[in-house]
Amino acid sequence: MSDALPGLIAEALLTGALVTVNVTAGALTVALAIGMALAAAAVMTNNRMLQTTIRVYVEALRNVPSLTFLFLLYFGLASLGIRLPSMLAAIVGLGLIGGAVTVDIFRSGFLSVPAGQSEAAASIGLTPFVAFRLIVFPQGLRLALPSLGNYAVALVKDTSLVAAIAAPEIMFNARQLVNETFETALIYGSAALVYLVLTGAVAQFTSLVERRLEVR
Amino acid sequence: MMFVETIADNVTDWVPRLLVGLRSTFGLTAGGFCLAFVLALLIEYLRSRRNPALRLIARLYIAFARGVPVLVILYLLYFALPGAGITLSALSAGTIGLAAVSGAYLAEVFRAGLSAIPTGQREAALASGMTPFQTFRLVLLPQAVRHTIAPLLINLVSLLKDSSICALIAVPELTLVSREIMSESFMPLSVFALTALLYFALAWPASLVARALEQRLHRPAAERDRGRSKRPAVEVTAVG
Repeated sequence: MSDALPGLIAEALLTGALVTVNVTAGALTVALAIGMALAAAAVMTNNRMLQTTIRVYVEALRNVPSLTFLFLLYFGLASLGIRLPSMLAAIVGLGLIGGAVTVDIFRSGFLSVPAGQSEAAASIGLTPFVAFRLIVFPQGLRLALPSLGNYAVALVKDTSLVAAIAAPEIMFNARQLVNETFETALIYGSAALVYLVLTGAVAQFTSLVERRLEVR
Repeated sequence: MMFVETIADNVTDWVPRLLVGLRSTFGLTAGGFCLAFVLALLIEYLRSRRNPALRLIARLYIAFARGVPVLVILYLLYFALPGAGITLSALSAGTIGLAAVSGAYLAEVFRAGLSAIPTGQREAALASGMTPFQTFRLVLLPQAVRHTIAPLLINLVSLLKDSSICALIAVPELTLVSREIMSESFMPLSVFALTALLYFALAWPASLVARALEQRLHRPAAERDRGRSKRPAVEVTAVG
């Protein structure tokens, strides 16, 4: 029995880690898409309605715990007859929360590009849209990258919450295995290690990209 | 609207229970923040030592606390520590766990606050005959505080939000109470919306103050004196 334990732990945590990676990748995609689109629209158009909408979205989602929001999405929608599978609820929920984080990151990135850049682009005849796409966007993206990396690391950790809506990620599997084997310290300790590897990998990857994009 | 009606019908039953939960949420947040503050000072002290072993300990601690989800730390404290003969109540495990994570972030806030002060300030204070302690108390600390208040508030909001995770180790705080009410009433939408609203009512004012302070701080001094600015501030993003 005890000989089989390391194998059981490895299996539970690695299959869980795969789900964690999937949820992270899915939510990151949703969050980046929302954040980038909203921030670009806000910076380019300066439309008051849009600014207000973004403000409401950001304030609403950033001042409510992720867990409460996930419960609202998973159990609340189910009571309206919209039963999301837990994986989908996890990705959509964390993605929406993430969008509220990344929209501010992207926007301050875009706004930190010196005004002379878009003025110069306009003076050589680029349309505002082309100027944004070719001049402001790439530079703003580079400025936003460190904060985006921090967000991605936080997201990996936040995926542990989706265990509470029964998505079979690392903590969900760990908990089940603990219930079967009672090897509490060993299993949760190993789970911590797996998270350290995952968050470390994300942080390393971001700083690698940062270095590649550095202006020389 | 049905949604409003269900809330109105049950408000007399739910609100008192949610408020009891809110009390634990307050306890977790306030206790966690105070402990985290002390822990962060300790970490900063270790980091400022010349002894490389102490600095390594501080660095490893921060890497661990920032690289692992709060939930894992709570599970380790609440479920795994009894195996080593240390049994904590859910509330103390929750408070300690939240503080353990938040302390690592606050340590970074303190460090950033101190390193934002130009070295000339310290050198000038020492050159004018102040003792190192006077230099710290009269010159460095007042300036560092200016830079740390906004991030401290942001971290307080993060801590408040993270306290909801303590529901998963059965601390009877707001989120756990709302789950209990949900499983009795089968009205998850209204219950969780009400809960979210309570969190929002606590967190939003603090976030607004933090942002206002931040924007003041990022303005150049001349504009700050005139009290107006068109320059957007680069926001410090809370993570965790």
